[in-house]
Amino acid sequence: MRVEEAVLPGVGHKFTVYTARGDRVVIVIHQTGPREVYFYRDDEDEPAAELELTDEEAREIGAILAGVIYHPEVVGDARTRVKELVLEWVKVEPGHPCARRRLEDWLAQAPGVHVLGVLREDQALYPNPPADLVLEVGDVLIVAGSRTAVDRFKEAGC
Amino acid sequence: METGGLHPSVLAFALAAAALALAAALAARLRFPALPFYLLAGLLASPWLDPGALEPLPTLGLMLLLFSVGLEFGPDRLSELSKKAIRAGAVDALALFLGAALGLLFGLDLKSAVLFGGVVYISSSAVIAKLIAELHRAAAPESEVVLGVLVFEDLLIALVLALFGGHGGAFGVAASALLVLGFLLAARFLAPRLAALLERVGDEPMLLFGTAFTVGTAVLFHLLGSSEGVGAFLAGVVAAGLGLRDRIERLFFPVRDLAAALFFLAVGAGAVRLLGANAGLALGLALLAVGLKLPLDYLAGRAAGLSHRRGLLAAFYLVPRGEFNLVLGALALAEGQALVAQVAVLLVLFSVPLGALLFRYGPEWTRRR
Repeated sequence: MRVEEAVLPGVGHKFTVYTARGDRVVIVIHQTGPREVYFYRDDEDEPAAELELTDEEAREIGAILAGVIYHPEVVGDARTRVKELVLEWVKVEPGHPCARRRLEDWLAQAPGVHVLGVLREDQALYPNPPADLVLEVGDVLIVAGSRTAVDRFKEAGC
Repeated sequence: METGGLHPSVLAFALAAAALALAAALAARLRFPALPFYLLAGLLASPWLDPGALEPLPTLGLMLLLFSVGLEFGPDRLSELSKKAIRAGAVDALALFLGAALGLLFGLDLKSAVLFGGVVYISSSAVIAKLIAELHRAAAPESEVVLGVLVFEDLLIALVLALFGGHGGAFGVAASALLVLGFLLAARFLAPRLAALLERVGDEPMLLFGTAFTVGTAVLFHLLGSSEGVGAFLAGVVAAGLGLRDRIERLFFPVRDLAAALFFLAVGAGAVRLLGANAGLALGLALLAVGLKLPLDYLAGRAAGLSHRRGLLAAFYLVPRGEFNLVLGALALAEGQALVAQVAVLLVLFSVPLGALLFRYGPEWTRRR
């Protein structure tokens, strides 16, 4: 598999994925949010199929493809438990009250939520972050919990 | 008309907004890009619409368009420019020199001839990026080349404007060169601290700061005898250097789209009075400009390694002119070169609809052959 990335100034980014079968998938991410996906069979010039997705649809499909919702290894009653839980990526936006605060301050506002990891730009993932980790603007928190708990976490201040 | 306590500009705005809404609805119904309809709506509404009454919104639209063009520059974007795009951009840049030579041949002085060369040369990255996104051409190989060429064009024309766009003579050129240098140095050395500061600023203050910064920079450049267009463009470059591109795109683009629609409407409404004297000659020169650039851009596409068909499409995509053309036209008018200004406005007026047609039907036409 080979992935090529190209910038389309003023439009967005273009990714070209060459699959093992010799087909080509072109994904355009517009800077305004929507995605376009094109499927080219073999070496053909015209796409055999195309797809337009909103940002939300693309994330959902992306999560499904990545095996977040159902992973082939998950069997038995573990699967139902996965269904009850939700996994979300929560970004610390500029001006967020919890920016530059400790993680535990935020968690105190929303019991029942687990932070599985923190993605920080240009750095490796912090797995299982310590409670006294100081959050920065731009951090993305991978949050797990019941739907209501995660919603409460997203709305909480510090 | 008796307006009571209401400011006349509010009435003009209501008329303009209604005309734009109808134009946009019609365009959507016909599955056609909206920009040419804004120009035509302006033309049709011109007996009732005084573009001056809409100010400062159309001017703000132009400044925000130039700002968003500048936003696409930043050190990261320039280093991402592929060799393909540079080769194509170099071939395409011949249009600037051929256009300027043509201007000298017509007896223009050097400055006006260079402005005319710019009018012939510059395609509209704002219009073309919008057309590519609206008509779902972003995945096509020619779009990558076209957008790369546009980055090249915008950079070259910004240089031309900085060198020849001033109205203060040699002092204007020196002042604008110093200002540009000062802005870029400030952005370079203050960037880390400023970026950290701006991260703590919420969305609304950010929008207002950004607007004040853009318009303020443009006015500063104008006052020092340089081109306000370069100022707005540079404000975008600085904002991109601060790593604000994604946030600003999200915050500014709805405002920009409204103001820019009013700008194109005002261009259409103001074009009627340019159809008078010398209209035939101006139209001929405008046609010549398009005719000069089409084969050059086909060659540029081939230089970037596109196939015959994709090369044709690349040349089609590069037809629409827009924001920089009108900046150059306004400068030429200030120089007393009404003909150059006429060519610039006429070029926008017919190249946007023509380009939109070529965009829309080009892939079908070229497939049959």
